[in-house]
Amino acid sequence: MDFAELAAFTIHDVKNRLAVLASRAEGKGDPEMLHGALEAAASLTRLLAWYKAEKGSLGIDIDARVPADLLEELAAEVAKQSTLTVSVDCHAAPNLWFYDESLIRMVLLSAVYNAMRHARQCVRLAAVEDPQWLEFSVSDDGDGYPEAMLGQSVDMQPLTRHGTGLGLHLAGHVAAMHENAGLHGAIELSNDNGAVFRLRLPR
Amino acid sequence: MAIHSPYSDKSILILDDLPEMRSSLRTQVGTLGCEKVAVSSNVKDALEQFKTTTFDVILCDYYLAGGTDGQQFLEFLRTRNVIGRGVLFVMVTAEKGYESVVTAAECLPDDYLLKPFTAETLKMRLERLLEKKKRLARVDQMQDKGNWPEVISACDQIIAAKDRYLVDVLRIKGNAMLLAGRAEAAVDFYQTMIDMRPMPWAKLGLARALQKVGDTARCKETLSDLISESPRLMAAYDLLGELHLADGDADAALATLDSAREISPNSLARHRAIATVAEEKGDFERVEQALEQVVKKTRNSPLRETVDFARLGNALTEMGEAGKAVTLLEEARTSFKGDANNPLLAAVEAVAQQKAGHPEKAAAAMERALQGDPSKLDARVAMAVAKACLTTGRQEQAQTILKNLVQTNPDSTELHDRVSAVLRDNGSPELAAQLVSESIREIIHLNNEAVRRAKSGELAVASEMLTEAAHRLPGNMQVVSNAAAALLFDVYNNGLDPVKLRTAQSFQQAVQAQAPSHPKLAEIAELMNRIRSKYAPAKK
Repeated sequence: MDFAELAAFTIHDVKNRLAVLASRAEGKGDPEMLHGALEAAASLTRLLAWYKAEKGSLGIDIDARVPADLLEELAAEVAKQSTLTVSVDCHAAPNLWFYDESLIRMVLLSAVYNAMRHARQCVRLAAVEDPQWLEFSVSDDGDGYPEAMLGQSVDMQPLTRHGTGLGLHLAGHVAAMHENAGLHGAIELSNDNGAVFRLRLPR
Repeated sequence: MAIHSPYSDKSILILDDLPEMRSSLRTQVGTLGCEKVAVSSNVKDALEQFKTTTFDVILCDYYLAGGTDGQQFLEFLRTRNVIGRGVLFVMVTAEKGYESVVTAAECLPDDYLLKPFTAETLKMRLERLLEKKKRLARVDQMQDKGNWPEVISACDQIIAAKDRYLVDVLRIKGNAMLLAGRAEAAVDFYQTMIDMRPMPWAKLGLARALQKVGDTARCKETLSDLISESPRLMAAYDLLGELHLADGDADAALATLDSAREISPNSLARHRAIATVAEEKGDFERVEQALEQVVKKTRNSPLRETVDFARLGNALTEMGEAGKAVTLLEEARTSFKGDANNPLLAAVEAVAQQKAGHPEKAAAAMERALQGDPSKLDARVAMAVAKACLTTGRQEQAQTILKNLVQTNPDSTELHDRVSAVLRDNGSPELAAQLVSESIREIIHLNNEAVRRAKSGELAVASEMLTEAAHRLPGNMQVVSNAAAALLFDVYNNGLDPVKLRTAQSFQQAVQAQAPSHPKLAEIAELMNRIRSKYAPAKK
């Protein structure tokens, strides 16, 4: 068995153990331990996805999904993990959109955890539809992204910033995999009274 | 104290081989207010639970001990109708990526839950899925009954509402159109879907519809496209393999299925598909290779299939290893309670025993093979029973079975070739050409004679002739539908005969179930209406 295979098995095993830990923490009402276990599991998920993406075997399974369900589920999952206010705004979201639910969930979860690290009081999730795109956004009320990160394409971002670089690279990759009629999904970072992470997916 | 919860009346089964995962899932489910929760560590135990409990929700881990996985378990439950479509099946996995390596849409779980998740996530997910089941309840019921026209109309109602279930229901509708025999309409339907968004399931549906309307070239093109875009969609390979096989190109069919197996090497369905094509090709070494894997993986599992053992036994016998075949088949017969009299298993054993030099054991097996009514057997099984008859010197019985097969399928030259081959390869070459043509002549003569009698006013004679033939050939839709029409015509002209009317109705239902788009059905329905209006006043 080569290292990559062994690593994949180990990741799988560790995720199972983190799942047990998370469930125990949830049962005891321990938000910090719950957050620690779930966030660690989320990084392992990204690591495995990145490995698959490099091998070219990160398949995509696009189907009709409900954006509001996804955001509400994410908000409910992270709300239990901290004292921050996590709000969802789906008033301009479409009923259905076409994307790979588990990949998009992974990308948004990573953005939410990042926002939680920097937020002062609140994290806001939103989905907005326009004629061409569905735009998911995750914003916080922290200090915002450093100037150097803005206006850069995500694959130019350094891989070092508190481990979030991997999340951004992967986000860019997953977004681009969502293609329809010549349009590719994309990531955009900006500041607006805090950091704003945007993920656009083509109609 | 009873806490009100939408789940308190739901019965839930948790299946996971890891004890700590089971208890963690159990705790999470408990916090939702579920009171009826059953827990299993393996498939065998889970199947036991199904005998006494009707579950509403199944939470199943993808990895299961004992050489099986959640997908195989689900396929077993659905293909054996252990659970209806109204039962919620949620697959719990540690990573994404299994969803596309499945053979058929009806074997997809309702949802995947990625570990780890919180009780809150589980709750929201279950709420939504149960809401969906409620909304699709009628669609599911009609699908379980195989009533495709009703499935379509139930789908149309939901489609008109354009709610969040729109695409789910469109997908079901397309499949129902194909199964209702509306292939032409299905081509247009799927094309519209693809224009909206080229989803893999829509392309697969288009390919299936194109196959049914006979546009093989466009069908192949669609499939090659689909395979290069979604290489994990196993059903695409199966269909392409089928097309190659229909062209008589078994090598290309095998190559297609081999590439599917490389992507999903652990799937039993892959090995079985390869075995089927190899059988067709007469490549019994490949059959043995493929089924050996399946038998090894399922030998001690409740998911084992008698048919796999029978087909492997047949391959071994064909390869001249009758002794080995006998050992395997005797094992299957003695250990599969309830399936010892399986006609295929018994027929294959009869041949193996005969070739291994045990004629008495062969005769005993033959008796088991002929226990039921051979005319009710599936064509493949009937062929195996006929072959066993020929091997053990029961020429006449073999001829009866084969004649029945030909007369049930008078237009299938493919089947006629197989029938000739069975006779030729098993010691009756002189009969090979003759039996097929005579059987066909006989059925044509019967039809003509019935028509002649009917035209000359002997309606009762005509309906009697066709009724007798329909009972003998329940799979011949032309005969069965003609019998229904003749009986109704007889009743319409000669007076209300409840026995004839009931027989006609049962023929009508048989045609509706097996060939819902049969052209004669309209005429039968029309006759029914005429009879109803003619005799209705007399009922008062």
